[in-house]
Amino acid sequence: MLFVLFRGQQSLSFFRLTAIWEAFRVATASLRANKLRTALTLMGIVVGVAAVISVVTIIKGLNQTVAQTFSSQGSTVFTVSKNPQIIKSREEFIKANRRKDVTHEDAEAIQRLCSACWRVGIAANAIETVKYADQKAENVRIRGVEPISMFDVDGVTINVGRIWTESEGAAGRDICVIGPDMLKNLFNDAPADRAVGQEVRINGRPYLVLGVLEPLGSIFGFSRDNVIYIPYSTYQKAYGSRRSLIVFTQVRTAEEIETAEDQVRTIMHNRRHSTDPDDEGFALETQDVFLNLYGSATSNIYIVTIGVAAISLVVGGIVVMNIMLVSVTERTKEIGIRKAIGARRKDILTQFLIEAVTVTAIGGLIGVGTGFGLAYVISALIGFPLLVSVASAVLGVGVSSVVGIVSGLWPAWRAAKLDPIEALRAE
Amino acid sequence: MLISMRNIWKTYQMGTESVHALHGVSFDIPSNEYIAIIGPSGSGKSTLMNLIGCLDTPSQGQYWLNGKNVSEMDDDELARIRNQEVGFVFQTFNLLARATALHNVELPLIYGGVSASKRHEMAKQALHSVDLTERMMHKPNELSGGQRQRVAIARALVNHPSILLADEPTGALDSHTSMEIMDLFERLHSEGNTIIVVTHEHDIADRAHRVISIRDGQIEKDERIK
Repeated sequence: MLFVLFRGQQSLSFFRLTAIWEAFRVATASLRANKLRTALTLMGIVVGVAAVISVVTIIKGLNQTVAQTFSSQGSTVFTVSKNPQIIKSREEFIKANRRKDVTHEDAEAIQRLCSACWRVGIAANAIETVKYADQKAENVRIRGVEPISMFDVDGVTINVGRIWTESEGAAGRDICVIGPDMLKNLFNDAPADRAVGQEVRINGRPYLVLGVLEPLGSIFGFSRDNVIYIPYSTYQKAYGSRRSLIVFTQVRTAEEIETAEDQVRTIMHNRRHSTDPDDEGFALETQDVFLNLYGSATSNIYIVTIGVAAISLVVGGIVVMNIMLVSVTERTKEIGIRKAIGARRKDILTQFLIEAVTVTAIGGLIGVGTGFGLAYVISALIGFPLLVSVASAVLGVGVSSVVGIVSGLWPAWRAAKLDPIEALRAE
Repeated sequence: MLISMRNIWKTYQMGTESVHALHGVSFDIPSNEYIAIIGPSGSGKSTLMNLIGCLDTPSQGQYWLNGKNVSEMDDDELARIRNQEVGFVFQTFNLLARATALHNVELPLIYGGVSASKRHEMAKQALHSVDLTERMMHKPNELSGGQRQRVAIARALVNHPSILLADEPTGALDSHTSMEIMDLFERLHSEGNTIIVVTHEHDIADRAHRVISIRDGQIEKDERIK
């Protein structure tokens, strides 16, 4: 490909390969001879490629986690609530706070009137410290739900023990189903069946453990198993009924979700009679809001990373060009010798181009390695799968090689057109 | 005729002034001659050597080397001629410092497109002919001056060029080593090589069979001494 640029080009005959191999040998020898310089030259390229590789790898891993997490609930669920799940601005926050609470009656109306809805449930959350004997678990999400089909809507399943019955739930008994983190934090990692039948204290109030949930794992470093489910009636007794609820609605198939949303929106409009033209008085959301937010966040990260990488590759390219110019000057005598014994312009040009490409390709390789290493460390810290992509590695080395060609071209050309007599005279 | 120079001029532009390094030089050199070109510095002998060695082209005149008109060739064609027809021996050896003796000798073959195995064989043979077989894996800084010059001579001969062109080949050597190198030239000549030695030293020139004296860009004397 290199030789297309030059006049008098031949096919890639044996001669070219010999010359390229010689150029590669010379390149690696001269890079070895100036180790510190080579290392410094590589830095820009390494940083650029490592940035891209690590970010791409991390985001790929996160994507998989996110996809798995949200598919457990899926696109068949939407919620009606007072506050949106993600508040993007101050105005939105103020607007949401002026709204009426979403109540049990709203949920009942939806249950009664929405024909496209399959499951309707309610949930309310609180964050508490939970105690068992002398053990303590902080920041546990207490989730009051009703009916028990909310376990299906949430995509959680029982591992050991049982869920309460509807009548137990309706009676507001002090019973609970605990997430697997509780075993670790309260029961010293005891097997799940040892926890069943024990009493944990939430906010000073004892709750009988009926069952333990299957683990869901964590997302972005936040455990999804640090939770305790209690019946909504019980929740109401413990926390009062003045808190706003979230109504969860599930349809059978994803195709029905728009119909169901329309119905629920109409039902809620009729119940709210909002006079504010800017606000319908409630938030109706699917999991898409998370996915959209996540998508826009990651695309911003991509853009920033590509910017960082581009800058460091440009700087790296300039450094390589600078070093190549120094190298050409230092090796003027050598160029003269080579020319005297028969090296043509394109032989010298090829030699220095290959040297530049070798530097940047090595930089690219180190960058790919560093990037994967960084991604590995971060994935181990946050807890998401490490997806090593060969394509991004090839791209990293490829792009850095192109940087080598671009930044090596001018120095190589200067070397190629040196006058052999002048060059031989150099010291 | 191996070399045929007809009315060669070399003119350099120094600002507005034209300086004639050579004016109207003509001579012929047949095959298997041992010839010395002698002259004081500034006489134009370096310019003449560069022309003979195809490192440069004349401003005027015709230069035929082994049947080819090299006076009108471009850079790449000249490189090809240097590779195939000329073997250079320099005063300061001009070996690649980081390469072994063997690799230095292989270098012209690399640019000539000779395959690796054949190249190896030819380079070893050339080193053998200058008695350096056992030092061929050494780098120049591990060799004595005389050995380095013998590596350079092996490099010059490896492609079987038409001429061996030596520029002050003993200028950087002590007198004993100088004699060894001159003996080597004599032997190479007797083996059929054409040797051109450019020098300012009379006792080096006296080893040749024919001496061309250059002064002020012209041939002052052209005499056969043996």
